[in-house]
Amino acid sequence: MAQNLSQDDHYARSVEEARKSARRFAVTNQISKVAVLLLLITGAIVFMLPFYVMLVMALKTQNEVATTSMWTWPASPSFDNFREVLSNPNVSFALFLKNTSFLTFISTIGVVLSSSVIAYGFARIEFAGRDRLFLVLLGTMMLPGIVTMIPQYVMYAKIGWVNTFLPLTVPAFFGSAFFIFLLRQFYMGIPRELDEAAILDGAGHWRIFTRIIVPSSKPALITVAMFSFMGAWRDFMGPLLYLNDPDKQTLELGLRTYMALRAEKWHLLMAASVLVVIPLVIIFFIGQRYFVKGIVMTGGK
Amino acid sequence: MKSSRWLRLAMTLASTLLCLVAMAEQIQLRFVVWDGEEAMVAIRRAAEQFESRYPNIKVKLETVNANYQEKLLAQYAAKVAPDVAMMDPGNFQKYAKRGALLPLNQFFDTPGFDISTYYKEIVDPHSYRGIVYVLPRDIAPCGVVYFNKRLFQEAGIPLPKNTLNADGTWNPKANWTWDFFGPRPELREKDFIWVMQQLTKKDPKTGRTTQWGYLPAWSGLLVDMFSYSVGGKYVDDYEEPKKVLLGDTRVVQAHQYTADLSFKYGFMPSSVELSSVLQTNARQLFTQQKVAMFQSGIWEVPGLRKDLWDSKTGKMGFEWDIAMAPAYKDGTLRFPTGGSGYCILSQTKHPKEAWLLTQWMAGAPGMTAMAQEGLAQPAITSLAQQQPWIPDASTTGAMRYPENRIITHLGVPFVQFGPTSMYWSDVSGVMYQNHGKIWDGTSDAKTEIPISVARGQARLDVLQRNQKLGDFSWLSGAGVGVVMLATLFLWVYGPEFKKRRSSREKRENRIAYLFVGPWILGLLLFTAGPMILSLLMSFSDWDIIQPAKWRGIQNFSEAFTTEARFWKSIQVTTIYTVVSVPLGLAMALALALLLNVKVRGIPIYRTLYYLPSLSSAVAASLIWRTIFRADGGLLNLLIYGADGKGNFLGLATLLHPVATANGQVNWLGNESTALPSLILMSIWGAGGGMVILLAALQGVPQFYYEAATVDGASPWRQFRNITLPMISPAIFFSLLTGFIGSFQSFSQAFLMTQGGPNDATMLYILNLYNQAFLNLRMGYASALAWILFVIILIVTLFQLKMSKWVYYEGGK
Repeated sequence: MAQNLSQDDHYARSVEEARKSARRFAVTNQISKVAVLLLLITGAIVFMLPFYVMLVMALKTQNEVATTSMWTWPASPSFDNFREVLSNPNVSFALFLKNTSFLTFISTIGVVLSSSVIAYGFARIEFAGRDRLFLVLLGTMMLPGIVTMIPQYVMYAKIGWVNTFLPLTVPAFFGSAFFIFLLRQFYMGIPRELDEAAILDGAGHWRIFTRIIVPSSKPALITVAMFSFMGAWRDFMGPLLYLNDPDKQTLELGLRTYMALRAEKWHLLMAASVLVVIPLVIIFFIGQRYFVKGIVMTGGK
Repeated sequence: MKSSRWLRLAMTLASTLLCLVAMAEQIQLRFVVWDGEEAMVAIRRAAEQFESRYPNIKVKLETVNANYQEKLLAQYAAKVAPDVAMMDPGNFQKYAKRGALLPLNQFFDTPGFDISTYYKEIVDPHSYRGIVYVLPRDIAPCGVVYFNKRLFQEAGIPLPKNTLNADGTWNPKANWTWDFFGPRPELREKDFIWVMQQLTKKDPKTGRTTQWGYLPAWSGLLVDMFSYSVGGKYVDDYEEPKKVLLGDTRVVQAHQYTADLSFKYGFMPSSVELSSVLQTNARQLFTQQKVAMFQSGIWEVPGLRKDLWDSKTGKMGFEWDIAMAPAYKDGTLRFPTGGSGYCILSQTKHPKEAWLLTQWMAGAPGMTAMAQEGLAQPAITSLAQQQPWIPDASTTGAMRYPENRIITHLGVPFVQFGPTSMYWSDVSGVMYQNHGKIWDGTSDAKTEIPISVARGQARLDVLQRNQKLGDFSWLSGAGVGVVMLATLFLWVYGPEFKKRRSSREKRENRIAYLFVGPWILGLLLFTAGPMILSLLMSFSDWDIIQPAKWRGIQNFSEAFTTEARFWKSIQVTTIYTVVSVPLGLAMALALALLLNVKVRGIPIYRTLYYLPSLSSAVAASLIWRTIFRADGGLLNLLIYGADGKGNFLGLATLLHPVATANGQVNWLGNESTALPSLILMSIWGAGGGMVILLAALQGVPQFYYEAATVDGASPWRQFRNITLPMISPAIFFSLLTGFIGSFQSFSQAFLMTQGGPNDATMLYILNLYNQAFLNLRMGYASALAWILFVIILIVTLFQLKMSKWVYYEGGK
């Protein structure tokens, strides 16, 4: 559809009209801009609430958490809770941070590399049994993990992977159904013209993948990287099941120490939670910078 | 650098060798507990003492703070169970009756060991038919009434004192008592209910209660105490129940009286009024001096000390102490108790050493270490009567509180443990589902309990039907697995065999499999096996611990015909999914469009909008609780206003039929509003979908819009004709995975409502989870999972069929 609109003479004739209407709408535009800004700010306040509560509780003393409303700002905010969490000899934050970072980096690299390649196969190559195989891929997401948990554990125990990082990293290199599906959708939205030109130049699938598809789907790849990073960082059941040694624990497991039965320490829990979440906020902040208009793909500009 | 690495390698090798030599007599024991940080310090200290006493045994201490049972079960199934593990009366039977625990009686002749030094009251609930499976480490009688001395003095009530018999035991008749029919003013401070009344204060102007007399830490505690004290029982045999006795008039009366103390007399905040801001309600209200007394176990002490102790003045915020819970008017006193201990898993290769460790940790060394931290009352009688558990003259500062700690020992003869049957979680899960209506005052015990009895008895009857089932044949199981993989293979490739291919197509095929190969390999290596196994298990009776038995299609027929909860959960899940997925998607799309505008600071806005998806689920659930609270919740504040007389958008009129006692809505506690509340919560988590759609929006070439503007297309038409088609692949993705995920959603209901009230939020997976890990019916849970699989598959196929609206710029 768009191709027809971009014919040159048509374009030139319309520019003058567009300018006129633009002037006419300038005032409305100003108002709508203010409306959007208001909407953005209101929304931001609403969406900030959980983090605000976490922060407020993290800055209060234990007594204050128990006696004041969770919305009120602490009388004298203090970073003591953060200090206590970071220096707690029983729940070694530094060690858990090291373990979590290792697990997260390895599995994120694995997921992004494998899923992006696999998705290309499903999105851009016609091959025997593709559509049905893709349904099998979707099918692997449809069975609740609760019932495969024990068989999977037994399997990993049989090959001696329990109490190692292997069950939490190796499978990442074989793709994740969710991310393969996501990337396939994005790849399929990329026009074929460039591929065809590249094929004429003698390029194979691997070159098309690395030179055309990957650069055109940066936002999608960044999304996958962010999601898998956050997923691995916050994973709880995996590390809980597969890691036994105290020195192999992760941050998310460490958080539970502050939630143990009948000994809830909300002030420390929230301080630790803020510390655990901050790297993710930073990652997201950096990641979303790549959410800018990608390369214009049809070359029509 | 390089040489140091070699050096390190050599050293590692050498030390490994040394270890191997040492290992000839070194034994390692894995020891797992679920305790929190302070208790771990004590346990570690005791374990180190054990290691120095027995140098040839090394103790590997592990802690599992959440999902303890799941992990233990998985380890047992994989034959990598720990040697010694923490256990409690509510759970041990599930393991013991299936042969997973060693009977401990065989070790009782160990010199220096004497089981009679332990409280019988906590050894019994850890035994089955006289055989001890768990050696108790602590007992926690829940007959501890914490009281605020200042409020007693203000009301002019004498402080409770201990009146003992001549032999030094507790005299229930001579201390305060209670009766079913309200306060007995003639007895004054000897009547517990009268004391509650005197300590309750109302604001004369508003009529609102500003101070309550009393609060149990959980309402079941008071029901248990009332029921047990008047001779009521819940089932005929606590170890092996045959009959549900909840319908006993005394038990019904106990339930009703507990509710009456809130709704009729107003001496005690109701669960509606509590609707928890934080989990430790009772203690919190006590430290805020909003309740004068609260009842719980001794474990509240460390928290109270911390909350109330002012290190500057060296004083408590107010003076407080503990007293024994009151007896029934005839002098009968019974209350529930907590307690736990250590068991030895039958897979251990070192039973003797495991016993040494158990005896150490659940013996004087372990108990003393725990008592020093003030964490757990020793299960050995003599240790519970002396330092460090009981304060003496040498105890100073905050540790002196509470002074009357001897009642923890004096109270032991009056404890009664609840049912320990391995079926209890299953039966009680069905039985108590409608009790929320008693606790929010919308119904009464006389109406609700007969319903629970019928449900509970029916469930118990089913569980007792001891079916003779044949072994699960693994050979035929493996056969079925192979056949299934082959069928799948044929289904995928069958249509392809006949096709003739050009050599170019063949080459494409080979290249394609290089791309998708990793996934196929992963499928075969990691995913297919467990999936097929779960399908096989869906035809079995499998409790995770024992080998599976063949059950044929009975799991499926049970789900479809006999389990009422199955249909209820399908209904709840369908409503939840059908409403929340489109709403969530619309929200995600709206946010994505909003966050795609060019405004200064948009990266910050995007990050802020994504924060709920990053914040801790616990923090989020705390916030939602305050939003949904019946008493002063934000949502009610909006509808009813601060004076409670408002009628926002006519909602108050609309909601009138579901309003509770205070005239407002208890959102999470009401059957008709609980699910909508969860749906509202789920929309909050639209951040993930927002990111995906935002990423998709970046792929829409700008010049399309420029051209459309030039053509004079309105923003709406641009959105319809450019934006929507261009991001339709991403919308389709969100829709499809949204449905798949929503059918399997779990955590919100788990955190907020546990499926209640009366199963109104019993999402499918919640039921499945309970069946799998609470009732240990993994075979049945697998059947449920595969039924859900088929449902999701049908929904997905339908969506794929209807996917003509999805526009792929790159073609199919």
